[in-house]
Amino acid sequence: MNNSLLVVLIASGVAYGTPLLYAALGELLAERSGVLNLGVEGMMLGGAVMGFWAVERVHAGTAITLAAALGIAALVGALLASIHAFLVITLRASQIVCGLTLTIFAGAVGLSSYLGNGLNLADIPARKTFNPVFPGGMQRLPVVGPIVFGQNILVYLSWLCVIAIWLYLSRTRPGLNVRAVGESPAAADTMGINVTAYRYAHTLAGGAFAGIAGATITLALTPQWVNGITGGAGWIAIALVIFSFWRPELCLVGAYFFGALQALAPQLQARNISLGPTVLWTNALPYVMTILVLVVVSSGTARRRLGAPAALGNPYVREEH
Amino acid sequence: MKRSRMVLAALLAGVVALAVAGAGLASRGSTPFKVAWIYVGPHNDGGWSQAHDNGRLYVQKMLGSKVQTTYKENIAVGAQFNQTVASLAAQGYKLIFATSYGYVTPTVAAKYPNVMFEQATGTLVAKNVSEYFGSAEDTIFLSGMAAGAAAKCDTIGFVVAYPIPEVIRHANAFTLGAQLMHPGVKVKLVWTNSWFDPAKEKKAAQSLVAAGACVLGQNVDSPATGQYAESQGIPWVGYDSDSSKFAPKSWLTASVYNWGIYYLKRVKEAMAGTWKPGFYYGSINDGFTKLAPYGPSVTAATKAKIAKYEKMIENHTFYEFTGPLHDQSGKLRVAKGVKMQVLKGGTNSLYGMNWLVQGVIGSPKG
Amino acid sequence: MHVAVERRLRQPRWLAVVVPLGSIAFAFFVAALVLLATGIDPLSTYRQLFDAGFIQSGSLDQTLITTTPLAFMGLAAAAAFRVKLYNIGAEGQMYMGAIFGSAAGLYLGGRGGAAPLPIAAMVVAGCAGGCVWALIPGVLKAFFRTNEILTSLLLNYVAGLILTYLIFESESYWRETKGFNATVFPTGKPLPPSSVWPGWTLHAQGGVTVPLGAFLAVLAGVVVWGLHKRTRFGFESQVLGDSERAARYAGVRIRRKILAVMALSGAVAGLGGASQVGDFAHALDGDPNGLQKIGYGYTGIVVAALARYNPFATLLIAFLIGGLQNAGSTLQGPSFPAGLVGVLQGIILFSALGGEILVRYRFRISRRSKGEAASAAEPAS
Repeated sequence: MNNSLLVVLIASGVAYGTPLLYAALGELLAERSGVLNLGVEGMMLGGAVMGFWAVERVHAGTAITLAAALGIAALVGALLASIHAFLVITLRASQIVCGLTLTIFAGAVGLSSYLGNGLNLADIPARKTFNPVFPGGMQRLPVVGPIVFGQNILVYLSWLCVIAIWLYLSRTRPGLNVRAVGESPAAADTMGINVTAYRYAHTLAGGAFAGIAGATITLALTPQWVNGITGGAGWIAIALVIFSFWRPELCLVGAYFFGALQALAPQLQARNISLGPTVLWTNALPYVMTILVLVVVSSGTARRRLGAPAALGNPYVREEH
Repeated sequence: MKRSRMVLAALLAGVVALAVAGAGLASRGSTPFKVAWIYVGPHNDGGWSQAHDNGRLYVQKMLGSKVQTTYKENIAVGAQFNQTVASLAAQGYKLIFATSYGYVTPTVAAKYPNVMFEQATGTLVAKNVSEYFGSAEDTIFLSGMAAGAAAKCDTIGFVVAYPIPEVIRHANAFTLGAQLMHPGVKVKLVWTNSWFDPAKEKKAAQSLVAAGACVLGQNVDSPATGQYAESQGIPWVGYDSDSSKFAPKSWLTASVYNWGIYYLKRVKEAMAGTWKPGFYYGSINDGFTKLAPYGPSVTAATKAKIAKYEKMIENHTFYEFTGPLHDQSGKLRVAKGVKMQVLKGGTNSLYGMNWLVQGVIGSPKG
Repeated sequence: MHVAVERRLRQPRWLAVVVPLGSIAFAFFVAALVLLATGIDPLSTYRQLFDAGFIQSGSLDQTLITTTPLAFMGLAAAAAFRVKLYNIGAEGQMYMGAIFGSAAGLYLGGRGGAAPLPIAAMVVAGCAGGCVWALIPGVLKAFFRTNEILTSLLLNYVAGLILTYLIFESESYWRETKGFNATVFPTGKPLPPSSVWPGWTLHAQGGVTVPLGAFLAVLAGVVVWGLHKRTRFGFESQVLGDSERAARYAGVRIRRKILAVMALSGAVAGLGGASQVGDFAHALDGDPNGLQKIGYGYTGIVVAALARYNPFATLLIAFLIGGLQNAGSTLQGPSFPAGLVGVLQGIILFSALGGEILVRYRFRISRRSKGEAASAAEPAS
């Protein structure tokens, strides 16, 4: 029963959706403050390579090493995000072009490749990895075994993050402030909220989450470093933010849905379920589904764009308001 | 727009100024023989390209200061390859090893008649173009034997890239080996549509295990399948390199390419002026292909039997692609006693094989 | 001490020159620091880059091979980005143009030298292919308000899968099935001789071949510029880019503009794809290690951004970046990390983007407190 297609897909969805979830949560925070950061892919790759590096260099107990690796991955992500933040918040550059440039700069033809090769991180297995937390017996329980108990701690941490961010945005003063900043920075400014500080803070936080997302891939999912290992996940994460209506709890559902979609093709092949040019449409499915969901979400809220921070993408210059 | 044109003029002026102020000319001096390798992936991918790079390092080690070697990595097939060749030729490189199919075209070969080209896995032979590859299928067959022996159930999973003859014959060789040790065993294929993609390969491995495979093998380049096998405690046969460090307990063996021996031979010939184009198909005998060291779980009996068949392949008393061979539908494709040839025989040749042998589950069309 | 940021009312000419210059110089300076930190001599590197890209024998020939597609991709991005339609899908539109163009060339071509009919058909088909693919995100944006950044980008992946499928995973019209080599490895059917695009040889550097695509790119640049600067379409789409509300009040038909701009952008990118087939590969390249690996579409965005979306500047910058990429593969090797080219491109673009602020805004530093400074602010001069 635990090998049935449905159970396997959901369990895979949770596992492979976790980097998507982290990255989407981070981007959600940045966008809530009004900053669009298209450099998610680049930041994930930065976190992936430096998190891996940390595991190779830090010689301590497993828990400490892995925690240090996550910290370093988050730091690298935040550092990369700070470039974007400085350019778009302080220097008022185009958020879209800046984000794209960040992806090129930090991505598979740029910094992450440079660091990974320069630090000789290729072709070695990760010294320490995130393994399933619960004992084998619990992992074999029907249905909940693989789906819930078969995951590593990063998955459970991500659930805590979803709850924390939801609480932050809906129940705390700073959280409500950041929503104001994203909706109408002029009004927020008048109320005495420091728009610049909030935008910086949330953009950097977004970078930190993206860095952790990258480390999830190189330290948990496929524990090695390879150039370009994220394979486009950053873009799916950005899309996830949109069709989760900027709500963290929907990010979780979306992330797992897409994680499952990505695992669908090989599962169908292995079970000899062939539906036409399987190779083509099952590989294209995650992308096509993303587009379809984006369309449904956008058109349904065509007039009011529920959820999208109204000031998303626009620089705020006090003197102009 | 004026603004931009001035920018560009200034940009050019700036770089010219730097050029003038810059360091001296390229060094001249006693001329080591210049030979270059061109890789389609990163030189440290732990798979295909790295095996070639190991060959390059071997040549560099054996010939020392008499050669100057370099490599270019991540070079796309097509225009980018041509550009790379142009710059290498301009820098005086005389021998170029192009390690992926489709790199060397008649056009580019004709454009540089004084450069010797060596193309891996291809078919073009010309005045300055030579082909090289080898019968990895022999050692893949042997590695399949290890997989068959380790299988405690009836299904072996095999992760493959693209449905082209090279991959199909490797999958077939693996299956034949597995069936020799474990009659009736089935080999299930999952195609990843990529030569090297750890995430896809791991998902493929997961799907195979979920569908009942108790041993995993692969014809792709990353060790992701093995890492997954290790986490599930099931045996694993690798490909292209000794990746036992990724899965110390699951590791059985792998077919490994040893390009260095051929490279050294050809570089020496080029230096001596005796280089001639041809079609080289290496084998176990000349060290082109061999098995990686065994893992802890391979039994002595299995090792002995594999060694026996290896000897028989070496002295040509056994060849795995000898008839009778049936395809998946049961039809007889190669008659009894007939040995498949490398190039001759259409779809019954090694280079043209587009059908899977009986016992393979999966489509040869992907 | 208080720093006020004010938008300039007028942008002085000298500033418009000094700032981009300054930011490029800054970029080279920062990049030199990066190189030094890696133990590589920056001056020697820059000299080699220039040498390998433009000076040494055969370099212009090779540079044009990269410049031609970059020019098309840059123009495609510029045409759309300029009016704030962020078409990231030039890469996929190029693949579609290659598919359609290759089909026209295969179908209409025959023996003999380059003939006008099949080549013209390839040009039209290439434009059509890119146009159709760009209209998907265009329609989704115009009618469903769907963000074009993500839809156009995701369609790049889909187009790549289709391209690989046609050659690697099916016996399609585009796939070569005759001859033994065809069974060994999947390749595209070669174009008949009369469909191969001609080139013109300049007598310099031992012979520089200027492909037809290069001329078509210049032509496309003129067309894009003309459309933008001299037609009502150009004016209206600019208004739309600046403010949708203003456009609506002015009676601009918004949906049509969005579709038209995306169609134009896609057509240029598609023409670039047809050029890949007609000028360089002479067959449809479906190998995932081939055309799909290079990423011309994404570099084109960098080119367009550096050129501030001006079509002629785009052509020139495409030439420079083409030289940089060509030279990059010369420098690449055991002692020169491959990732450096992307890092350098990124630094240059970041510097150019950062320098923008000095053109559009001015900083005023005053000793007075916030409130006083704001009330005493003079109009920007």
